[in-house]
Amino acid sequence: MSTSIDKELHIEKWATASIQNSPFSVNSRPRSLADSRWQCPPRRLTLLAMSRWIRYGALVLITVLTATSAEAPRLSADQLAKAIRNDSISIPSPGELFAALEKPGKPNWTGQYRGPMPMTYRNRAQIALNLGGLIADGFIAVEAQDCQQVKNIGTDIIKLAKALGVSQNVLSRGNSINEFAENNEWDALHEELEATQNEVKSSMQSHSDQDLVILVSVGGWIRGTQVVSAAVMQNYDERAAKVLRQPALVKYIHTKMGDMSSELHNEPLVKDVSDQLNGIEKLVAFPPGKAPSAEDVRKVNEAVGKVMEEIQSKTEAK
Amino acid sequence: MKMRFRKISRAPIISGLSFFVLSILAASGFVGTSIAAESDKEVEARKAALDLAGAFSNDGFKIRDGHWSGTIKPREHALIAVNLYSGNHYWFSVGATGRAKKLDVTVYDETGQQVTTESYNAGEKAAAGFSPTNSGQYFVSVGLVEGEESSVCFLYSYK
Repeated sequence: MSTSIDKELHIEKWATASIQNSPFSVNSRPRSLADSRWQCPPRRLTLLAMSRWIRYGALVLITVLTATSAEAPRLSADQLAKAIRNDSISIPSPGELFAALEKPGKPNWTGQYRGPMPMTYRNRAQIALNLGGLIADGFIAVEAQDCQQVKNIGTDIIKLAKALGVSQNVLSRGNSINEFAENNEWDALHEELEATQNEVKSSMQSHSDQDLVILVSVGGWIRGTQVVSAAVMQNYDERAAKVLRQPALVKYIHTKMGDMSSELHNEPLVKDVSDQLNGIEKLVAFPPGKAPSAEDVRKVNEAVGKVMEEIQSKTEAK
Repeated sequence: MKMRFRKISRAPIISGLSFFVLSILAASGFVGTSIAAESDKEVEARKAALDLAGAFSNDGFKIRDGHWSGTIKPREHALIAVNLYSGNHYWFSVGATGRAKKLDVTVYDETGQQVTTESYNAGEKAAAGFSPTNSGQYFVSVGLVEGEESSVCFLYSYK
């Protein structure tokens, strides 16, 4: 019995010494022939010690495997494809885009204003597209902290919203916009503009104008991208340029436009915007981590500028 | 993480009475179902999410007006696609009804790789925050770790 315990103890000590002298040990020292494990007399002990080495190796292997499997899990392409996407959460607001643009340095917001647009559109799709663009203009005026411009745009938003026959709730938002602008409540204006946009969209939904909802988002995204690309062109900065990368977003809005009724989708303006989004999707698909060059930004600006011109053009409308 | 809560004065939360009135109006066809379809549980979950997001507003975060509401069962996840901009900092807030005991909010990038986030977890509320280095699509997974099937509301803030 005691012999067995002694043997076990001997094995333990030997194995410990083996590990300490192993190349992996921090205490390893140059070994003489006398220290060699092959000099260790009983063959059985050597085998036992080897099994300890195997166990040690297995332990290391398990640790490595566990560490690998403990790495952050990855979702499959199928899971990503099935993710929930909706207009109000998957499409960022122009305010969100402008907040990112401002990080490297405040752009010249007033330099991004555009002239007044006609308020006499009769085509509902064109009104929806312009309404989205106008809401983006409202965000620009808020960023510029320009009280009068906010009020002017607020009035125009309500005019276009009325033309679409939206609810009274939307119209009362106009008063709130004026009130917040007069009191220089810029953060509240951010929220109010986005709430106005969502109110317009829910009013459209309840009036069975579901197909027009995406057009408001499209108009807002195109105008926002036009402004951001123009601001980056004026004062190129890699960090600011990186906000233009949004291929999945363009793909999403393009897909949503494809889901419209064929009657609406085949309207010349809507069809044209949809066709041009194909090209824009490629233009904004920069590799992750790589900032678009000044030339890339210019191409994006040119493409969205062309679409914006068509959206705004009175003569092109039906 | 130190959380400071502020009272939310945002209009969209529908009170119990308003909900009752809207339900009657919806039943009689005066109000669209999209408005009246928001159940008491969804309103409760949304209030919890807004309460949590309100804490981030104190640090200058702006709350997006949009949200997603749904129901999740224990150990199930809802995956929501969002499009984010590099340079911004984001907080994704989730609120649930009282039957949820522990929620999990995890963020993945466009390749499905999990992103390192700051996190906050307190019963029926949870949040994850991070600053994307690349603009593009991200996915937020909302899971019910402990508790019974619950209504949940997801929204996010940025600055």
